[in-house]
Amino acid sequence: MNTLSRPLLSMLLAVFFVFAAAPDSQAAKQIGVILTGDVPYYRAMHETFVAELHKRFTGAEKIEIIVQKPFPDPISWSNAARKLIAFDVDLIVSYGSPATQAVLQEKSNIPILYVGLYEPDQAVVTGKNVTGCGFKLPLSSIIRYFRHLKPVNTLGIVFTSAEEDSVRQYKTMAALAAQQNIKTEKIDIGSYADLSKLKTGNTDAVFITGSSLAHLWLKDIVSILKKRRIPTADIFPDDEESGGLINLFHPPLPQGKMAAEMAAQILLNKKIDSIPPYTSRDTELVYNLVEARQLGITIPIDQLIEASRVIK
Amino acid sequence: MSRHSFPAFRFLQRLVACLLICLSTAIALPVFAAEQPTELLIGIEPEHNIFDQMQRYRYLASYLSDQLGVKVTLTIMSRYGEVIKRFKSRKLDGAFLTSYTASMGIKDLNLEPIANPVNLNGEFTSQGYLFVRKDSEIRTVQDMAGKRIIFVDPATMEGYLFPLAYLEQHGIRNINKFFTRFDFSGSDASSIFAVLDGRADIGSAKNTVFNNLIHNDPSIRQELDILAQSPRIPEITLCIRNEIDLYLQAKLVNVLLQMDKTAQGRKVLEQFKALRFVKSKKTDFAVIEEMAQDARAAIAEHGK
Repeated sequence: MNTLSRPLLSMLLAVFFVFAAAPDSQAAKQIGVILTGDVPYYRAMHETFVAELHKRFTGAEKIEIIVQKPFPDPISWSNAARKLIAFDVDLIVSYGSPATQAVLQEKSNIPILYVGLYEPDQAVVTGKNVTGCGFKLPLSSIIRYFRHLKPVNTLGIVFTSAEEDSVRQYKTMAALAAQQNIKTEKIDIGSYADLSKLKTGNTDAVFITGSSLAHLWLKDIVSILKKRRIPTADIFPDDEESGGLINLFHPPLPQGKMAAEMAAQILLNKKIDSIPPYTSRDTELVYNLVEARQLGITIPIDQLIEASRVIK
Repeated sequence: MSRHSFPAFRFLQRLVACLLICLSTAIALPVFAAEQPTELLIGIEPEHNIFDQMQRYRYLASYLSDQLGVKVTLTIMSRYGEVIKRFKSRKLDGAFLTSYTASMGIKDLNLEPIANPVNLNGEFTSQGYLFVRKDSEIRTVQDMAGKRIIFVDPATMEGYLFPLAYLEQHGIRNINKFFTRFDFSGSDASSIFAVLDGRADIGSAKNTVFNNLIHNDPSIRQELDILAQSPRIPEITLCIRNEIDLYLQAKLVNVLLQMDKTAQGRKVLEQFKALRFVKSKKTDFAVIEEMAQDARAAIAEHGK
């Protein structure tokens, strides 16, 4: 190869790399998403988020969405956050508290939009480049509905000590139960082996917090409890029909829409600190009559009429 | 003499005949004007649990049938529109009506309010509450802007007329614009549960249901704040058609007011979940008309 062809080859290679990288650089806006454990509830929010965002950017700038689905543990959340920061995305969208905490710990300058956060005003998610939407849920209603169905002397609470929002839900529920002289039993799920904790104890009913880990194994959790004829209540919807008796949850669609609205504003260069966080209080209540029958529980008619939906 | 006495006799005879006709007409008149039914069909407005409600009223209907010698039959109605329709078509002789419906029935159909049951707390009146969750940060009418409100039914004083009148007094006429959403729950208890669960931010309901739920579950009181209360008005009133035989009306009133004086009556009252009945009067409902005046503009605005 002569002296002239070498620089020419180098130039050709450089041009090739530029063109190879072009699809990414042409994507005017990139959004990085952390969807913990592909939990169906967060997935439903995300699907609405994507659909709504595309509606807002039809024919305009191209939006590229990079999705990370880490396993619900601190190292995986941290790795997912670091990857998105390395991609230098324009916005990071994180579903739930632990994913949001992981991104915040990395201290990047990328704007962060949290979605589906339980009581955001109680979570430590502050910063000049952070905003988002979450929900409040009256956990006291779950105790009330349980007590309408059967006497509850001991309430089991399934949570994960590594998940900040799940711990807060555990503490809130334990305090509410104490006010009503109901004992509580901690069921900390940190690994699949911990499901064996459900096979013992004297719980009359079990409340399942918004733990991502618990929701990965929801069918197994409900199945173990069903064998012991223990009813469950969950604050996520049971879209995959795992068999919970009561689901009291914030509907995912409005949350996805609100997130898309906020993301669109950020991508259109509105200052993130001028977009106030939003907390929704809307809820839906679902009773599973099939499960009630199998558990030998009769749901009174005046309670059934309160439901947004009844699974028959 | 006979020539003079004959016309006089004829005159006297005609006078007596006339008097007899007049007398018999006069005696017969009330019979034609007032109906003597063989059956009394009494309507009931539905509560939260209609099965429990029907059971309670069945005991009362059976007792009234025995005491009056007239079969008392119950029928459950859907709402105000049906009450009016059925009274007009004379398919209803009376009805146990909530305050707003009773007020409209008295005004539009000239129904006669005859008695009110006194509940187990010793009250025969109720009032409307406007309430929110304690952790909602809603404390004034201004804080309610852009929130979701739940009413009970357009035919209720406590669950609709009162909140509208209250909002109007605070300068809110167009609830379509002021709230992001307004719904009707269909029952007082459902309104309360909707606010407790977060399905609505502001709710309206009658105090008797509110207090009863708290009695059964005291934790509810810790979660809700009452922001406004309406005046007290008879909660349930037995109203009957004015055309019903006056004697039967009087007998019905008497049976109801004397129920707590006999062992049998007290047993039925216990099953009916009341202490006694008290006499009702039309003036009790004047305050509803005042509220309706206040709420009229708001109702016209959103068409309910």
